[in-house]
Amino acid sequence: MPGRTARLATAAMLVVTTMAACGGGEDDGANASAPKAPATIPELTKDPLTLSFIWFDWPPAHALEDFANAEYTKERSNVTIKVKTVPNANWHDAMFTQFAARKTDFDIPILDSQHIGEAVTNGNILDITDFVKKNIDVKAYNPYLLAAYGQYPQAETGKRDENASLYGLPLLGDTWTMIYRKDLIGDKPPQTWDEMISVAEKCQADNPGVSGLAFHQANGSDAAAVTYNTVNGVYGGNLWDAKSRKIDGVVNDAAGQEAMDVLVNKMKPLTAKGSGNWFIDEVNAAVAQGKACIAFNWIAASGGLLDPKQSTLGTTREQILDKLGFAPLPSQKTNLVPLGGMGMHVSAYSPKANQAEALNFMKWFERADIQKKWAAAGGVPSRTDALESPEFLNAGPFNKVYTDSVSRMRDMWNVPEYARLIDIENTNVNAALNGAKKPKDALDDIAKEQQAVLDSSGRKGGGGL
Amino acid sequence: MSESAPLTIDQPGQAASATPPAPGRSRRLSDRWLAGAFISPALLLLLAMSVFPLLWALYLSFTDYSATRGGPAHFVWFENYTAILTSAQVHLRAFTTLIYVVGAVALQTTLGFTIAYLISRRTHGRGLLTTLFLVPMMLSPVVVGLFWRFMLDAQFGVINSMLGSLGLGQVEWLTQQGTALLSLIVVDTWQWTPFIMLIALAGLTAVPKYLYEAASIDRASEWFRFRTITLPLVWPLLLIAVLFRAIEAFRLFDLVYILTSGGPGVSTETLSFHVYKVAFLGFNTGTASAYGILMVLIVLVLTQLYLRYLNKLKED
Repeated sequence: MPGRTARLATAAMLVVTTMAACGGGEDDGANASAPKAPATIPELTKDPLTLSFIWFDWPPAHALEDFANAEYTKERSNVTIKVKTVPNANWHDAMFTQFAARKTDFDIPILDSQHIGEAVTNGNILDITDFVKKNIDVKAYNPYLLAAYGQYPQAETGKRDENASLYGLPLLGDTWTMIYRKDLIGDKPPQTWDEMISVAEKCQADNPGVSGLAFHQANGSDAAAVTYNTVNGVYGGNLWDAKSRKIDGVVNDAAGQEAMDVLVNKMKPLTAKGSGNWFIDEVNAAVAQGKACIAFNWIAASGGLLDPKQSTLGTTREQILDKLGFAPLPSQKTNLVPLGGMGMHVSAYSPKANQAEALNFMKWFERADIQKKWAAAGGVPSRTDALESPEFLNAGPFNKVYTDSVSRMRDMWNVPEYARLIDIENTNVNAALNGAKKPKDALDDIAKEQQAVLDSSGRKGGGGL
Repeated sequence: MSESAPLTIDQPGQAASATPPAPGRSRRLSDRWLAGAFISPALLLLLAMSVFPLLWALYLSFTDYSATRGGPAHFVWFENYTAILTSAQVHLRAFTTLIYVVGAVALQTTLGFTIAYLISRRTHGRGLLTTLFLVPMMLSPVVVGLFWRFMLDAQFGVINSMLGSLGLGQVEWLTQQGTALLSLIVVDTWQWTPFIMLIALAGLTAVPKYLYEAASIDRASEWFRFRTITLPLVWPLLLIAVLFRAIEAFRLFDLVYILTSGGPGVSTETLSFHVYKVAFLGFNTGTASAYGILMVLIVLVLTQLYLRYLNKLKED
């Protein structure tokens, strides 16, 4: 009977294809750790080559593409640089779904520092320890910057373990800057967090229609989480005990509770109504439209604030700068600030010629003269000499804030479970900020859920809920 | 193999009715073979793009496989399913999805049918009105989400601006627990009411005119005619539209992603949005596969029950 035969053939084909696919999956385990990059850059191709980056869509991504095409091609005329961009919220997924397929359409993934653990554990990026030893002057950097953007396992805050492996090099340094209205609160920025809150409170009362504060509160990306982590650090809290992998009892200790109380009960009432989903662009818009006395944002995203076309604060850059001031974050019990920025890495799945070109690009990019040019082009370099150079310090009014903040930086958890940890923190802090949860409950839920994620990392089945 | 050789006949009973091949056609090119050749590309595509992924997901749902971690997939049998069905996180998302589906579909059905009824009573401009009402349905949900996000912005949005001009206060549409889910329902209703309207309009225009004429002769009231003629005849078609919309609403992802990202907190996270997080944040592929399979099963079971009700309605 042909009908029956056809059905049997179809079923057999499905079983065979399923078995074949199952078999393929088992081979994937052979490559479970990061492959090593050569210490010496292999011979570079003379054929036309496109070196592709992947990043999220923001001004530094476009600045990098323009800068690299203008400068790198002077030395490698056959190379074109392409910086592929995705929306910020898709950044992690866009990179790691390609890593999951063991095939990438990019050569240099620009990873957030906390993504390194996941990429290294899965063998997605090259181990460049030997390459760095031979080609990079590591003494030219603040050790923590080098560690934060490349080292795994994660370095202790402020330090670098010279015996640890390196998987990336700094591309763009960043931290939060405090943006304040000089015309409303005076030239001198607040020095302590408590003082900042009271100044914002007074400014809001004195200037109807202008909110005291503007900061990240959204539940996408790492927005609300970075805000809480910053306040947590300033009030002497810790996110976890890295050695014992303990979160419950650490993040929600007395200091953590105080930080959550300050954030929800003292800072949130000074923000604009409906700002509970604000992130980088919304905070910048509020500042540019003169709707905030004091705001917090990433330095690398602050360039647009000085553009008269985007601002109601003045018709020239100078007029805007008469009203806007930029300062390092106020301190309280500690002076910690959030570590931002990203490192560049080499995809383990790129063709060999592209990997060689990527290594060559990294060596070129970390040169002292190029770092200064990158600074002048609007980038935030990481070499100490570039950070202290006039090219960098004169390129933007917020650049000195970065140089002054380098020694104060603290990062989050750089572990393979990072994406889930940050989502738990984001959604709970966002819930507390928008009245969907009590602050204490939100913090306790963060502690409990994050601890469960760390504890279940070896779990068989049912993980991820 | 001479050309005059008889066709291979699969079923003897068909021998008398079998059409002889056209002169010159190869003996191998039987009608059955040709039919198979024509449908095989579509069939192969269906197998490759739908059936195989479904079976593959079914297989993964019984394992602890992670797409990024790689390594062999170990069978955990029903552990993923047990974890999902007993998870408080999943129950919360299921409840949110239920509220959303019931709210959105009920509103869309009421509005869609009302608009269709009003349009069906018009003699002029019916085509133009129908076309205009269909415009939202033609737009991409992402585009719809983005412009509604701007319109619902508490500070700069046109909705609050209009409320302000009426002397009403600002509403935090997307950032408060009470209004965020309502906003999603409103936006989905704006986009998909035309779908219900279209189906209802097709039903309304198919009602035989002589029934209304007979009712008029009997001096039946407008309400009586609606209740005893219009509604019973349109009802089965409307229920099919409701079924389609309920399935679509159950899978809602895009509007949540654009408008609220599931917030505030997780109060607008639907089941689909949660599956996305399980699949792509933690890359717990096995769990996400089981989650997806369970969602398909729920839709299948509910659809079957619904179709049985529809058949019963038809028989009655």
